[in-house]
Amino acid sequence: MIDPIQPFVQMYNSLPPMLQELVRFLYSEPFIKAAIFPGALFSTLLGMFAVWFERKLFARISLRIGPLHVGKVAGILQLIADAIKFLSKERIIPEGVNRPLFVLMPCLALVLSLLLYAFLPFGAGWIIYPSEIGLLLFFLVAALSPVPIVLAGYASRSKYPFIGMSRIALQLFGYEVPLFLALTGVVLSTRTLNLEKIVEAQVRVPLAVAQVIGFVVFMITLLAETERLPFDIPTAEGEIVFGWQTEYSGVYFLMIQLAMFEKVLAFCFLGAVLYLGGWLGPPIPGLPETLSAPFWIILKALILFTLVALLRGVYPRLTIEKVLDLGWKYLIPLAFVNLIITAGTSLVAGALTITF
Amino acid sequence: MLFVVLSPEGLDAALWTLLLYLLLTIVAPPIFYLVSVLIAPKKPSRVKRMLFESGQTPIPVRTTPFPIEYFPYVIIYIAYAVFAVIAFIVVLDMLRAGESLVRGLIILAAITAGSIYASTQLPTLKQRLEKGAAS
Repeated sequence: MIDPIQPFVQMYNSLPPMLQELVRFLYSEPFIKAAIFPGALFSTLLGMFAVWFERKLFARISLRIGPLHVGKVAGILQLIADAIKFLSKERIIPEGVNRPLFVLMPCLALVLSLLLYAFLPFGAGWIIYPSEIGLLLFFLVAALSPVPIVLAGYASRSKYPFIGMSRIALQLFGYEVPLFLALTGVVLSTRTLNLEKIVEAQVRVPLAVAQVIGFVVFMITLLAETERLPFDIPTAEGEIVFGWQTEYSGVYFLMIQLAMFEKVLAFCFLGAVLYLGGWLGPPIPGLPETLSAPFWIILKALILFTLVALLRGVYPRLTIEKVLDLGWKYLIPLAFVNLIITAGTSLVAGALTITF
Repeated sequence: MLFVVLSPEGLDAALWTLLLYLLLTIVAPPIFYLVSVLIAPKKPSRVKRMLFESGQTPIPVRTTPFPIEYFPYVIIYIAYAVFAVIAFIVVLDMLRAGESLVRGLIILAAITAGSIYASTQLPTLKQRLEKGAAS
C-alpha cells in the first residue's frame, strides 16, 4: 500500500531550507491555533455565519424569508456582498470630528473584540492562551471594550453620537458590576479562575442548573454589555438615528459591526463555558474526542446565540430609566443573593474541603 | 535562520501563540482599510462631510450636554464597584483559607442586605440628593 503522506514528505524535502522553515512554521501548533482554530479564521467565519443566521432567524420571526438571492442557497453569499459594499464605499470623515480618535476607535474595538477569543477554551487544549486566571483576563478585555465605543461617540462631536455615548456609559456602569458578581459566583463554586478547569468542574451538573439565578443575571448582562435588544438604547435606530455609530460609514462601520458581533459571540461562548458545561457532552460515534469537543461547545454557544437573536425579534426596546432600574435595583441584589446561596450551599455540603 | 524568528525557543509556547494571535488581530483593521483604499471612490464634497442632523444644516453646540438627571447612578456605581471588589476578595479568601468561610459568609450577607436596602431606597435617591444640595 502506498503511504499517502509520502509524496508530501518528498515535496517538503525538495524545498529550499528557507521554505522548509516556513512550512514548519505554518504547520506548528502556535500558528494553527492563532490563525485557524480557534484563532483568526475561525472567529471571523463564525462571526459571518452568526450574522447570516441572525438575519434568517429574525426574518422568520417576522414572517419574512430573509436573504435569498445572492449565493443561491439561502442567500449565503449576501454577507460577502454586504462586506464588499461597505469596503467599496467612500471613506467620509465629517467636518469637526476628532480625526485620530474617529479613525482609530473602530480599529481598537475590532482588535479588543477579537482578543476575547484568545482566552476561550474550545476543548481540552484547544485554547490560544491557557492561563490560571483566564476568566479574569477575559473580564479585563471585556471591561476595556466600552472604551473605544465611548471615545468613538466623543470623537464624533455630533448630537446623536453624544446621546448614544452618554447612554452607553450609563448602561455599562450599571451592568459591569452584576456581570462581575455573577462571574464571582462561578469562581466560588468551581474554586478556580482557569476556564478549562471551570469546564471540568461541571462534569456532574452544569452550573446553569446549580446557579440558576447567576445564569439569568449573566444572560441579562450579556444582552446589556453587547447592546442587544432589548438593551440597544445606545444605538436605538429610529430614536437617535444610530446612536454613537451615526457618523460612521463604509469601512469604519464594517469594522464596528464586526466588532459588535464578535463580542456577542465571545460572550455566548463564555456563557457556554461557564454555565452549560463547555465542551462536555455525550460522545458522538465515529468522531474522535478532539473533534467532538469543539462541536459541543459551538453547538451550546449557538443555542445561547439563538436565544439572544430571538429576544431581538420578540422584545421592544427598554427606556433608559428601565434599563438603569433593572441593573441597579434588581440585578445587583440578585447577583449578591446568588453569591450568598452558592457560599451557603458549599458551606452546608462541605464541598470546600475544610475543617472548622 | 528564519525558523528562529518564526518560533523563538526562549518563549513560552502559549505566550508565543497569544502574541501571534494578537499580531493577526492588529493586522486585520489595516487590511480592511487597505482594501477600502483600493476599491472605494474618492469624490469629496462639503455636503458629504457635514455632520448628520436629520437633513438639517448642523447647528453647532458650544457646551456638551451631559444628562445630569442620571448623576446619582454614577455615585452609587462608585459604592458598588468597591462592594464588588470586596466580594471578590472575600471569595478568593474563602477558597484559600477554610477558617474564614463563616466570616466571609457574614460579610457577604452584610453586603447583600445593604444592596437590597439600597435598591428599595433608590427611587427616592434623586430627590434626597437634590434636597441635600439645596439645603
